[in-house]
Amino acid sequence: MSRSGNTAFGALSLMTVVGCVGVVASFFLAQPERFWANWILWFMFVLTTGLGCLFIVALAHLVGARWAVPIRRVPERLSGLVVLAAPVALIALFALPVLYPWARPEAAHHAIVAGKAPWLNIPFFAARTIVCLALWLISYRIFTGGSVKQDQTRDPNFSVRARSFSPVFMVIFALTITLVAFDWISSLEPEWYSDIFGVYLFSGTFLAGLGATSLAVLYLMDRGRLPGITTDHLYNLSGFMFAFTVFWSYIGFAQYMLMWYGNMPEEIFWYKQRIEGPWLNVILLLAFVHFFVPFFALVPRDRKRNPRSLRWVAALVLAAHFLDLYWLVFPVVGASPLFSWPEISFALCFIGLALLWIRRAMTAGEDMPVGDPFLREGLEFRL
Amino acid sequence: MSERAFAVVGMFDSAQALVDAIPRVKASRLGRLEAYTPYPVHGVESALGLRRSPLGGMVLVAGVLGAATALLFQWWMSAVDYPVAVGGKAPFSWQAFVPVMFEVTVLFATFTAGLGMLLLLNKLPFYGHPLLSSKAIAAITRDKFALAVEAEGSAAIDVEAAKAALRTAGAGVLEVLPLPAAELAFPLSLISRAALAILASCLVAGYGMYWVVKLFPVLPPMVHMQEQPRLDAQSASTFFADGHGMRPPVAGIIARGQLPYLTKTQEEAAAIVNPLPRTREVLKKGRKAWNDHCAVCHGALGDGVPTLTAAYGAKPANLQAETFREYPDGAIYHAIMAGKNAMPSYAADLTEEERWAIVHYVRVLQRAQNARDEDLK
Repeated sequence: MSRSGNTAFGALSLMTVVGCVGVVASFFLAQPERFWANWILWFMFVLTTGLGCLFIVALAHLVGARWAVPIRRVPERLSGLVVLAAPVALIALFALPVLYPWARPEAAHHAIVAGKAPWLNIPFFAARTIVCLALWLISYRIFTGGSVKQDQTRDPNFSVRARSFSPVFMVIFALTITLVAFDWISSLEPEWYSDIFGVYLFSGTFLAGLGATSLAVLYLMDRGRLPGITTDHLYNLSGFMFAFTVFWSYIGFAQYMLMWYGNMPEEIFWYKQRIEGPWLNVILLLAFVHFFVPFFALVPRDRKRNPRSLRWVAALVLAAHFLDLYWLVFPVVGASPLFSWPEISFALCFIGLALLWIRRAMTAGEDMPVGDPFLREGLEFRL
Repeated sequence: MSERAFAVVGMFDSAQALVDAIPRVKASRLGRLEAYTPYPVHGVESALGLRRSPLGGMVLVAGVLGAATALLFQWWMSAVDYPVAVGGKAPFSWQAFVPVMFEVTVLFATFTAGLGMLLLLNKLPFYGHPLLSSKAIAAITRDKFALAVEAEGSAAIDVEAAKAALRTAGAGVLEVLPLPAAELAFPLSLISRAALAILASCLVAGYGMYWVVKLFPVLPPMVHMQEQPRLDAQSASTFFADGHGMRPPVAGIIARGQLPYLTKTQEEAAAIVNPLPRTREVLKKGRKAWNDHCAVCHGALGDGVPTLTAAYGAKPANLQAETFREYPDGAIYHAIMAGKNAMPSYAADLTEEERWAIVHYVRVLQRAQNARDEDLK
């Protein structure tokens, strides 16, 4: 390993350790609601970024995207974040009685929440979470594990198997991402309900996956580890990002507009909490960083294939997804946005942990799926 | 200069040969170069030096214009020209405008993309392209790649020089395409025939529709809005036991901005004080309300000599009488609210402000007819 590599490793480790100390301190010093809200936020961010990458892998297999073969190893490795998210999810179960009103004894006196008890109760909730985790880990094993094994065996049958499994994964993914949205985020306010919320989270998830994948692809390209990848491949990543910034806004606005029109007390309170007072600034910022800036930045054709601008847009999209999750989760613990040492500690801890995790995945094995029979065709891809 | 030609076409066996030939022929500057290939070939565009299509920019401008048009249009209709409150929302509710803005953006953008590409940039309609009647076209649509040196505008091309340039660049078979017949655009005869056909179909459709509407029984249009199961104002209903469609308000209900009037007798009412100041505006309001509601019975001067009711034998009160001059304000107010003798309550017809303004005005009328000495000084 190079000298700069060691320095980076040291810096990341230091960052993680400092963050961990802060996280432990905030467990004892900060309000429990705040600690667990941070925990849920980072759990969601790590999980959805990993799931978004897993979705990209499955999508590439499903539609037989040849252009995606040479860069497929990147999302395959990044989807390892789902493995990192598993222990985080299990610890997050302790947040239920603190943060989720339905898990507290007084829920029995609230007619609407009590009516949802058959679905929203701790044993069933934990069971759903564990089943989801198991399904994701199995899918990760099938896609990434199989692909890495193909590097050695050069067995073209894996490509066929992955292609047959990908539609199954799509069904699993659609159901589980909806469960994540409904269980972990929407049930923070159990009276509230929105059919489209699963799709909303999916749109952000896919964008986060694209942002992380683009950043990692550019990082590897800078170090010459992805020979043969051209700006045409980058163009496709940008195109996806471009399309899905619109999709995210479309879904987000559709949900908001219907509730705004109906103005029903049982629905609109959720938005009132999130668009009134200081939170208005957050949603306005979100509209800019999640839609207007990336959309107009990616309109020109040259921008879509320019590595430098793509790096900025990808980072912005990833950060915007985080802000989106913050805007979803944090209004339940504060009438105004909270940002202080506990939040910074959590950021240091989880970003450091995730980067170390990705780094470990990036150093082992091949940078491209060299065993995939379509690799050559993928490298020859031109627009 | 030999014969005048539209283009000289040279055939190449591979896409690479074509791409390699382009810069060499281009260097001879004989005319506009155009490549004809069975499938899109990478590198041809840059070799030909084609400039970036302006379509993207046009679509962007059209899209922004579409969004702005939809926003202005809806703002003018909903907030300026005919503001209607829908669902308690403000007349300018941008949330409600977004779907239409989105659709109009897409509409403008796609129309610009489609029509701009076809009409503006590709200059269609243009039929009978000389290449289509050439011998080369069969091979071009199959497995050969053609490079054409074409005449630019009205300038003629040097056919022999073009042939030589193409041959040096490696072209196999060469073909000279003659100038197309003079009328490549729409001939007048076709335009007139098309116009006649449109006129004829308008006449047929118009008269046909006229007779269809006249002869067939007129079917009701969509009437679901009228025929919905609902209660109309002042109509009977079989739903309620008493047969009335209109329901009395729930007991104890108070309309927004109104206080219940609980005073029962004129004696109790005497204690109520007129809350309005005696200003010019209030008296003006009182005069208007008096003339609109009271003068028809009590007379314009309040003397009980009206223009109308005398004909019916009624005896409205003469408010100039001693009794009424000594009435406290609250008693007059009570008469308006609760009615008196044959006079019904005017509580529903007058606002709270108007009632008290009338009380002030009655005092003015009384004072005017019973002036004291000091009033005359």
